Amino acid sequence: MAALDCAGVSGAVRNASASVRLLMHLVDIHNVSRSYGQVRALRDVSMTLNPGVIGLVGNNGAGKSTLLKVLLGLLTPDSGHGTILGCDILHASGDLRGRVGYMPEAAAVIPMLKGVEYVTLSGDLYGMPHRDAKRRAHETLNYVGLGELRYRKLEEYSTGNVQRLKLAAALIHDPKLLLLDEPTNGLDPEGREAMLELIEDLIAETGKSVILCTHLLPDVERLCQQIVVLHRGQVIRSGTMAELRHDVGNRFEIGWQGDGTAFVAALKNSGAAVSTDSQPDRVVAQFPDGWTSARLFALAREHATVLNLVRPDEENLERLFFRVTEETSGGAKPVSAAASNGAEESRHGN
Amino acid sequence: MGIDNAHYYGWQGELQSPRWATLAIVRISLLQVLRRKLYWIVISLGMVQFLLFWVIIYVVTQFKLPGDFQREMHNITGFSPKPDFGEENGYVTFMQNQSVVVMILLAFAGSLLVGSDFRLRALPFYLSRRIDRRHYIIGKLLSISALISLLTVVPAIALFIEYGMFTSSTGYWRENWTMLLSVLAYGAVMCASMSIMIVTLSAYLQRVAPIAITWCSGFAMLNRLSGYLKDATDNDYWQLIDPGRDIRLVGKLCFGAFQTAKDQWVAELAAMILVCFCALCLVALVHRVRAVDIVE
Repeated sequence: MAALDCAGVSGAVRNASASVRLLMHLVDIHNVSRSYGQVRALRDVSMTLNPGVIGLVGNNGAGKSTLLKVLLGLLTPDSGHGTILGCDILHASGDLRGRVGYMPEAAAVIPMLKGVEYVTLSGDLYGMPHRDAKRRAHETLNYVGLGELRYRKLEEYSTGNVQRLKLAAALIHDPKLLLLDEPTNGLDPEGREAMLELIEDLIAETGKSVILCTHLLPDVERLCQQIVVLHRGQVIRSGTMAELRHDVGNRFEIGWQGDGTAFVAALKNSGAAVSTDSQPDRVVAQFPDGWTSARLFALAREHATVLNLVRPDEENLERLFFRVTEETSGGAKPVSAAASNGAEESRHGN
Repeated sequence: MGIDNAHYYGWQGELQSPRWATLAIVRISLLQVLRRKLYWIVISLGMVQFLLFWVIIYVVTQFKLPGDFQREMHNITGFSPKPDFGEENGYVTFMQNQSVVVMILLAFAGSLLVGSDFRLRALPFYLSRRIDRRHYIIGKLLSISALISLLTVVPAIALFIEYGMFTSSTGYWRENWTMLLSVLAYGAVMCASMSIMIVTLSAYLQRVAPIAITWCSGFAMLNRLSGYLKDATDNDYWQLIDPGRDIRLVGKLCFGAFQTAKDQWVAELAAMILVCFCALCLVALVHRVRAVDIVE
């Protein structure tokens, strides 16, 4: 019953039904708001996350950092309540950080230290007995694949190895929840792949819960079972990729041979929301309810167009992200330097 | 070892109070300093001075030297380990001399121990663990204090023990045990004031060159300026704007080395100035550390 021994948990938590709820939920927060002066960084954020791998995505200024600070117990919300790993977010900051392993985005190296000393220091700072911290440092360094580099000075580590080292430092006290802030940031493709494999292996072997915060949406799509989309301080979507894709409805990717200008114009006139693809002979069309494939083929025949592709257009996370943020913004194009695929989707105007 | 043949092992144990983490910060900081060869050069300067005092105590106590020669030996080091020597107290002289070495060491160590945490963004590493900003600041102040003590308090105590040993009687220790307290008190003043000053300076300037230049020239310039103002206005109190002199005066106060009430009052004034200055530095330091975003 590890989730129940956290200081600061309210009395109501002690009853049996609450116990079950705490054990089930990783994060259970309600109406959490936080402002910095006049700026409201979080607005009535409510979310209930089950243990697993969760991706936290959002534009710059969406409130991700503030939410992470709340999850780490570094910030107390202005209003709202809830628990993280059974710890009350209003009262248990130190205990909370004892249960969470945080891998910061920054390099965060300490000069003149060796790898094993760095990870041991992390254990000491978490409050582990020094002897345990030392033993665990060797174990976690072995696990992340830095066993042979453990006695090297940190200045000699490559970017990829520093990322692994930070992961080892976050794992040292065997936390129940890992917060990974841009774990693949600055890595070359090979290093990124290795890091993602390591995280996948960690999740598979230990079953730890992970909250992944990154701008690289393909990483989130690959690793995460649940996704939380933050926009302007609010959670605008939350759920599994499959659940979020349900919103897509009758969206199809359509391809043809030859000139399809007339066909595309007819599609638009018939009520479908059409967006051009990167290829000239492809479009993505969102059909209104009641459309059938027979009607589509009839329209193609009418305009002497030979269709060579009709398939459901499954959104990837990038497209999904841009769609939901655009919907929430009321048509305003979200500000982001993220990938071009999603940008095309944002031009849909569905 | 790759991930294919390494497995994850859990850990079950009780986490201790984050207060203990400050000791880990001290241990790591000392390790950082002692791994740099440059710092060993500075530390060895302090060791040379200590050995000089050690040898002179040995010679003075073990050999019957003519009076003139003995006086000459005292003049070389200014070392008079008896408390009734007033302002010429040898331990004060030794610790004052060592404080110059300490200042040089801190000018370089500040960047390594504190500046690099800001420059290389290592502060989030510390503060995202169970400790908070208070523990971090205390840990860094204790680290600097440990360095200062290694060069001042510890060798001064060693000299005290040596003098007692070579006089072949425990009488010296029994009669002058308060001297040990004075050494510790002077050490505490140096540790508190210098650590707060250098940690604050390093937190703001971060790189070794600006820190070393500001630190050393600050002490030297204020020393010169205080002397100039004193001569120009014929007012001794101007000397109190020199923090190095203030520390020395408070140190002498700890040894009760002042003969006149006015000197005593000036030293007390120096203590007040030092406390106010350190309090300001501490406020600035807390402000600086609080400004760092742990999650960016």
